[in-house]
Amino acid sequence: MSLFQGINTSASALTANRLRLDTISSNIANAEVTRANFVDGAWQPYRRKMVELSPQTNGTFDNFLQAAVGTVSGSQGGQGVKVTAIQEDNTPFKRVYDPSHPDADQDGYLLMPNVDPMKEMVDMISASRSYEANVTALNASKAMMLKALEIK
Amino acid sequence: MLDSYHLQVLERSLDAATLRHRTIANNLANIDTPQFKSQQVIFESFLQDELNARAGNGKLEAYRTNQRHLPFGNAGVAVPQVVSNPNNFIQNSGNDVDLEAETTELAKNQIWYSGLTQLTAGHFQKLRSVIEGGGK
Repeated sequence: MSLFQGINTSASALTANRLRLDTISSNIANAEVTRANFVDGAWQPYRRKMVELSPQTNGTFDNFLQAAVGTVSGSQGGQGVKVTAIQEDNTPFKRVYDPSHPDADQDGYLLMPNVDPMKEMVDMISASRSYEANVTALNASKAMMLKALEIK
Repeated sequence: MLDSYHLQVLERSLDAATLRHRTIANNLANIDTPQFKSQQVIFESFLQDELNARAGNGKLEAYRTNQRHLPFGNAGVAVPQVVSNPNNFIQNSGNDVDLEAETTELAKNQIWYSGLTQLTAGHFQKLRSVIEGGGK
């Protein structure tokens, strides 16, 4: 039974949370961008992006071996988390009245990105806390492996 | 002596601690995954049953006249079991990982693991002192 798998599991979560933080940074950075895509002769504002997560369940050799030998009963856990997609938020864009803006339509309305800074801040705190929890798990794996090496 | 029952119990307990650690790491990794169900490892109660049975005051155990007879009661060895708790509080996302409970379990398991490594090291230390004659 390998503790290295615990480290890989934690590492996958660290990567996923780093990507979540990067995506949130991108959303906040582009919160005022009115020219993200050029579609049919008109500029489209930036669309908020979200990371889609799912558990990584494809079994390893170790899992199959242990199930076959019978050293563990019940279905064993997966190998962490993976990012399946970066989805775009399809909520409508904000409409702001600003006739002097070059991207405003005939009625003087301007489409702004559907990014809500408040929502992004909440997501950012959540991602950063998850990152910390997984660092704790990683440090525990390290400490346990070093302890096992003390058996001599 | 080298392959004593004591050492076997330690070895299986270390394996169970490793499995538990991996399970907790997986739960923590999936703390934001929608529809994820956390898992727990049960081992100590099985081990206690086995030790009680060995000490002769366990539950009913069938007498086997042939090695090929199926074990009955606590005749087998304690095997860790991975389970999901259906009574966990499920959040709106369908995920039931409890950060506080998992980190507490992680800390407990880590201490348990280091205790087991010390016991195992102590076992070999005793063997060494016997081999060396204890006179040094």
